[in-house]
Order: sequence, then C-alpha cells, then structure tokens
Amino acid sequence: MDLGSLAAVFVGVVFINNFVLAQFLGICPFLGVSRRVDMAFGMGCAVTFVMTISGVTSWLIVHGILMPVGSRLGGPESLFFLKYVVFIMVIAAMVQLVEMYLRKFFPALYTAFGVFLPLITTNCAILGACLLIDMNETYRNSLVKSAVFAFGGGVGFAIAITVMAGIREHLRFSDVPKPLQGAGITLLTACILSLAFMGFAGIGK
Amino acid sequence: MASENGSILKQFTDGIVANNPTLVLLLGMCPTLAVTNTVENALVMGAAVIFVLTMSNLVTSLLRHLLQPHVRILVFTLTIATFVTIADLTLRAYVFEVSKKLGPFVPLIIVNCIIIARAEVVASRHGVGRSVADALGCGVGFTLALTLLGAIRELLGTGGITLLRESGWHWHLDPKVFEPHAWVVMIMPPGAFLTLGAVIGVVNHVRARRAERGGK
Repeated sequence: MDLGSLAAVFVGVVFINNFVLAQFLGICPFLGVSRRVDMAFGMGCAVTFVMTISGVTSWLIVHGILMPVGSRLGGPESLFFLKYVVFIMVIAAMVQLVEMYLRKFFPALYTAFGVFLPLITTNCAILGACLLIDMNETYRNSLVKSAVFAFGGGVGFAIAITVMAGIREHLRFSDVPKPLQGAGITLLTACILSLAFMGFAGIGK
Repeated sequence: MASENGSILKQFTDGIVANNPTLVLLLGMCPTLAVTNTVENALVMGAAVIFVLTMSNLVTSLLRHLLQPHVRILVFTLTIATFVTIADLTLRAYVFEVSKKLGPFVPLIIVNCIIIARAEVVASRHGVGRSVADALGCGVGFTLALTLLGAIRELLGTGGITLLRESGWHWHLDPKVFEPHAWVVMIMPPGAFLTLGAVIGVVNHVRARRAERGGK
C-alpha cells in the first residue's frame, strides 16, 4: 500500500467519478441547499465529516462482526442480508453521535452545521459511499483505501455543491425563462458542469 | 361508501399526474438521473420502487396506532430497509444483468425521499386502503416519469430502444432515423441532467398554462 495508489483513489473519486456529477449521489441537497455559498460549504463539510466516519465504521462492522459471526453460523456471507439494515443504522447512529459531540465540545460548529445534520441521515451520498465501498474489490479488502475513498467522496461532493452555489448566486441576476426557474435551470447548469468534469476522465489513464 | 371509493381512486390518480413525485414534487432525484440511461433499467427500477413503496405503506399503515412519534422515522427506515433487501435479492436472482447495471441504486431506495415522505404524510395517518392506493399511484407515477426520461435518452443516445437484451425474446425498436446521428452524450451523465432539466421545464410550462386557463 503506497501513497501513490491512495492518491489515485482520492483523485479518482473527487474528480473523475465525482459523487454528484458522475454518479448522481446526493442530488437532493445538491439542488436544495445550493442557493448560497456559505450554506453549501457548510453542508459539504458536514457531509465529508459524516461520510468518512460512517464509511470506516460500516467497513469495521462488516469485517469485524458480520463476517466472523457469519462464519460461525455457516459461511462468511451468511449474514450479508443484514448489510443494508446495518449501514442505515450506522449512519443514523453516527449522525446522532456527531450531533451530540459537536453540541458539547464545539458549539460554534454545531450552530453552523445544526440544520444540516439531521438531513444527512437520509442523504443518499453517505449510504452510497458505504455501498460502493462494499461492492468494490479494492476497497473491500483495505480499510485505509476505504477511508480515503469515503473522505474523497465527501470532498468531491463539497466541491460540486460549492461551485454550483457560486453559479446560482450569479444566476439570480439573470433573466431565466419562467418555466425553467428553480430546478430546471439548476439541472441545465449541472449538465454543463458535468460536461466539464468529464474532461477529468483523462487523468486516470 | 361510493364517495370513499371515489376519494381513494383520486388518491391513486393524484400520484400519477397532479402530484407526480418525480416531475412535480421533485422527490427522489438520484435514481431518476442515474438509472434512466435505458428504458429497461428505468422499468426495473420502477418495479422495485412500486413493490417497496406499497409494502412499506401497507406495514406503516397497519402499525400507525403503535407508532411513538420520536421513533417513527427509525421504524419507517427499518421497514423500508427490510423490503429493499427482499427486492434486491429477488432482482439479483431473476434479472442479474440489469441488477448489476443498477449497482448501488437498488439498495439506495432505502433513503429515497418519495418512500419516507409517503410513509410520513399518508400511511402513518390513514387506513390501509388509502395508503396502498397512494403507494400504487406514486409508484406508477415514478415509473412513468423514469420511463419517459429513459425513452428520450436511449432513443437520442443509441438510436433505438432495446428491451430484455439478455433473455431470448428481446424486443427492439429501431427507427433508423436517429442512428447515424446518435448523441452518445445523452446516455452519459450530462445527458441525464439535460433531459431532466428540459422535461421539468416543459412540465412547468404546461402546468402554468393550465393554471392560467383555470383562473379565467
């Protein structure tokens, strides 16, 4: 496990397979919370935080509890039907824990993140990160790569949503046709952003 | 009884047209963008959502008198996660190729806002009949919206529509008109954003026109 391969994982998930613009994870907050740059940045940071923690925790639970207990009961995969329930419980618990921890020790950060934290439980980017880690051979076998992947996914989400918010702040002053106002023009802008991100595909080669 | 039946029917049709979850309420955007590159994916995804939505609304509606307010979201989520696991294993058993293409988006039905919203707004407050009618309506509305987007993207992106490619009897629509000019970008990520944005624009335009006419 060298630094180069970790960097490749990170760049891959931030730019080439960006969670929002190439894999369509976390579209709801991307459309809903991208009106102002500061809010978007706050949301991006909160998602990165929770995504890293829950990606690592769900990996640990699958490899530390489900597989050993499953092998006792007849084959390491015999408890895998519980995976989805476990993932969603881990995310809900992590969000709850992070919320309590921040409220106690970092009240300023808590008031900044406050509104977003409960929303994150049902953010599909977080569950998506846990699922993708679980589906991919490279990440399934390495905790460090999984952690880098989850962190990179969060960073990619934060970049996409902040860029989008920057564009939307300017869009407010432009003359958008009435039926396209709101979601329509945001999706068309996302289309152009996504075209731009397709240009990064060459880096991976 | 007749009026009760009528309102249940209305609950069903509302989900398809007036409150279409995807194109009007803009719920559940992630699968809408991700699995609409072919009609086949859209149909399989729609079927999975109809199943999960109906079952979770049914169970939530039966449990509604036992639900404590502070744990209700947890109960909804666990109910949904159970049915999603069933749907995922069934898809893997019978349509493995499609299920591989859908990737994480079948398990992601767990956090689909349509299903949680219907459990919260309808199923936890109304009887079984109405909840199931609502679930079927919303599910069908979601499937129709996805199929529409899938049809536009597959037709423009590949020049034709193919169903059931892996099995023996596949169905293929091939107008030939588009083929030499197929826009590959339509089945790639930017095409998803472009198609959905354009379709939402058209829907908004039609709704505004209709509201105007109704006002006069």
